[in-house]
Amino acid sequence: MNLLPSKYRYLPILAMVFFGVAAFTPILNEPGLQQTFAVAFLFAALALTYDLLLGFTGLLSFGHALYYAAGAYGAAYAMARWDWGIIPAGIFALFFATAIALFTGATALRVKGIAFAMVTLAFAEAGHVIAVLNMWGLSNGDQTLQLNFESVPDFFLGVNNTRNLYLLALITLILIYVAVWWLTQSSMGRVLQALRDNEERVSVLGLKPFNFKLIAFVLAGVMAAFVGVVAVIVTNNANPVMGSTQTTISLLLMVILGGIATRWGAVIGGLLYVVLSQRLTTLDTQGALSGLPDWIGGPMSEPAFILGVIFILVVMFSPGGIAGALYRLRMKFGSAVK
Amino acid sequence: MTKALTLSDVNVTIRGSHILQGVNFEVQAGVVTGLLGRNGVGKSTTLRSIVGLVPRVGSIKLFDQEISGLKTHEVIRAGVGFVPEDREIFSTLTVLENLKLAERDKDPDYDTVYNLFPELLKRKGQRAGTLSGGQQQMVAVARALLNKTKLLLVDEPTKGLAPKLVTEVADALEVAAQATTILLVEQNLPLIKRIAKNIIVMDQGVVVHAGVPAELENPEFAKQMLGVSGGSH
Amino acid sequence: MEIFITLFITGFGLGALYFLVASGLSLIYGLMGVLNFAHGAFLTAGAYATWYFTTSIRADGSLSSYAMSLLIAGLVGALFAVATEQILIKYLYDRHIDQALVTVGLGLVATSAYLGWFGTDPLIVLPPTQLYNTVQIGEAFVGVDRFLYIGVAVLVLLANFLMMRYTRIGLIIRAGVENRAMVTALGIDVRKAFTFVFFIGGFAAGLGGALATTYASGVGPTLGDAFLIYAFITVVIGGMGSVPGTAIAAVIVGTTQVLVNYYVQGLGDFVVVMLLALVLLVRPQGLLGKVAH
Repeated sequence: MNLLPSKYRYLPILAMVFFGVAAFTPILNEPGLQQTFAVAFLFAALALTYDLLLGFTGLLSFGHALYYAAGAYGAAYAMARWDWGIIPAGIFALFFATAIALFTGATALRVKGIAFAMVTLAFAEAGHVIAVLNMWGLSNGDQTLQLNFESVPDFFLGVNNTRNLYLLALITLILIYVAVWWLTQSSMGRVLQALRDNEERVSVLGLKPFNFKLIAFVLAGVMAAFVGVVAVIVTNNANPVMGSTQTTISLLLMVILGGIATRWGAVIGGLLYVVLSQRLTTLDTQGALSGLPDWIGGPMSEPAFILGVIFILVVMFSPGGIAGALYRLRMKFGSAVK
Repeated sequence: MTKALTLSDVNVTIRGSHILQGVNFEVQAGVVTGLLGRNGVGKSTTLRSIVGLVPRVGSIKLFDQEISGLKTHEVIRAGVGFVPEDREIFSTLTVLENLKLAERDKDPDYDTVYNLFPELLKRKGQRAGTLSGGQQQMVAVARALLNKTKLLLVDEPTKGLAPKLVTEVADALEVAAQATTILLVEQNLPLIKRIAKNIIVMDQGVVVHAGVPAELENPEFAKQMLGVSGGSH
Repeated sequence: MEIFITLFITGFGLGALYFLVASGLSLIYGLMGVLNFAHGAFLTAGAYATWYFTTSIRADGSLSSYAMSLLIAGLVGALFAVATEQILIKYLYDRHIDQALVTVGLGLVATSAYLGWFGTDPLIVLPPTQLYNTVQIGEAFVGVDRFLYIGVAVLVLLANFLMMRYTRIGLIIRAGVENRAMVTALGIDVRKAFTFVFFIGGFAAGLGGALATTYASGVGPTLGDAFLIYAFITVVIGGMGSVPGTAIAAVIVGTTQVLVNYYVQGLGDFVVVMLLALVLLVRPQGLLGKVAH
């Protein structure tokens, strides 16, 4: 049921080596790079939580960003308005997001397929509207809800400590990765994948699909909220973009690019997406594109353009994403034991 | 015997279920052949595989033309008519619109159709969704009779119909058989005995017998092949 | 009371614009099962075409130039749509999720292309001065442009009705929305209908884009995206595959949004979105929907 053959069991070990190297490599001493990678790690983690829904459970949600934003805003609000410390604020945010995920999930899961996707979209849009328009004074609208620096321990503040943010993001990614890995390998994970492939057969076995889907939905939402809480610390604010369709689409891109239903695919997709976005923007400011005529150079300076084109190419020619392409390469060259 | 239809080693797998497991048979041209078998053995799937509504592997020949690689609309245009199980008429269209949609030839034969089914002429402006089950069945059969076909595939046209309507459908099929070849899936054995010249029996995704309707008189045979008591219903 | 009339007609006018975008979406999904996230990009293309035409080609501010720009915007939208169908959608036949994903990608590409070509700031589009007039209804004053949107939408609705009822392609589309497989089993190649449906959907979207420049006094790269979400809501509420349903839903969405937004800014948007969720849960096929994809 797992899309990858057993040869890929060594990958978790490889992943940990990667993470270890990433944590301690001295090359990344520049705060700018550290910040970029911190954001990249967070999005990779977020992409993982999204893949749990989309790739493993087969639930196409267009509103995943809502829970990420709920976590971010929940924590930021508790810290800013109630003067709570980071830990209590974080716990509050998780409860807040759980409640929202339970409610929206239970409602949305009453329908399937495209209808389900649209309901999740509707809820996310509603949340986004609340945030943007600062309804009931909950968010700060476009001003964003700033991080209350007093609530956060000193080692997360200041440019000199960007490295600590980098480590925090990395740890978050590792935690989420382990959680998703454990979930998908567990017996519940197998039920979820079975649900994705053939729901009828699961109900015939006497299991209630709705309950399992709801659990997956809430778990994915809570994990996304967790990433959101960390995001507030790393980026110093909670902003409406976090809950926008834009963000959900970015997640969709990351997961598809990296390879659906492969955990490390989601990670690669997330890292690639953020790094590409940042690097493509600097390409333009460095004038690397000035040689091109305006009608090419204009769009090319927008990261979304190139990412969108890559995305289209992947969907059309390599639906398994990077992971799928690598898998096919291995099959082609008949790689033996590793 | 001229073979209107030849299936060789046709396999169909749908969502993991291997429904047709190497179907082989020939259909004689110009007559009605009955395709029989218990529920679930793959009769409807066989018809659907011929017109390409399910993915299939194997060889399917319409007279001398290999049609197994053609898309559905190309199979139909090659001269095949299809009357599906459960009619599948368009409920939001009128009776006449349903018929007009089915037109393929330059001169569709509305005369024959309205002679066989005068009800349809009477109700041609009526929304098909408001017709009775029997009337909808007439539309489904009429659709297939409008055009000249080399082969007509008919799937349980009398299912759930009152005896009077069964007779009308039988009459229509007999008229149609004068001009084309018919492969008829049916559970209604008296109908088979009345209009079919040959029978093919399927079980568990393969053909287990090819013969003539007279064999159905033998109760042992009928029970073994079809799980029913033979003779008259 | 006057303010209610003004708001209602404004909402009706906005609904007319939603209808133009949503009608194409509805047919495309109803017939082909494709959730076209690039439909907003068709609108924006039409809008930019209008801007270009009325500022560079025929900048005389006359009504006839404006009318021509509407036609051209429609054609631009239609061309963009047909290109999309022929280059991307066609090759993903029956892979509905991938088709939807590809349109998401296309929408992204288009928006960033517009951004790169025209910049983030909205480009001003001035309609002919006649459209600035107001008309008095009872005690209320209503902008003339609202009636233009409604008029165009009604024309499109009428054209659609005639096409569906009296042409063969209309027959094929109506049948195809209900049961696509059976249409092929009658020997008809539905794929021709696909291209046609993209054409008319794109035309309506482009037309909507041209009118949107008047409504919004300009065009920016995300103009279509802003309309797209409400167009989707309209399609779902009205019922996939039903153009009349879309029309009714468009009026509901437009008037509700404008009316509620007046009293509490933003609440109208929120209410409309919640309406979507409600309809999906209570009656997933929408008001007049025929499809249960």
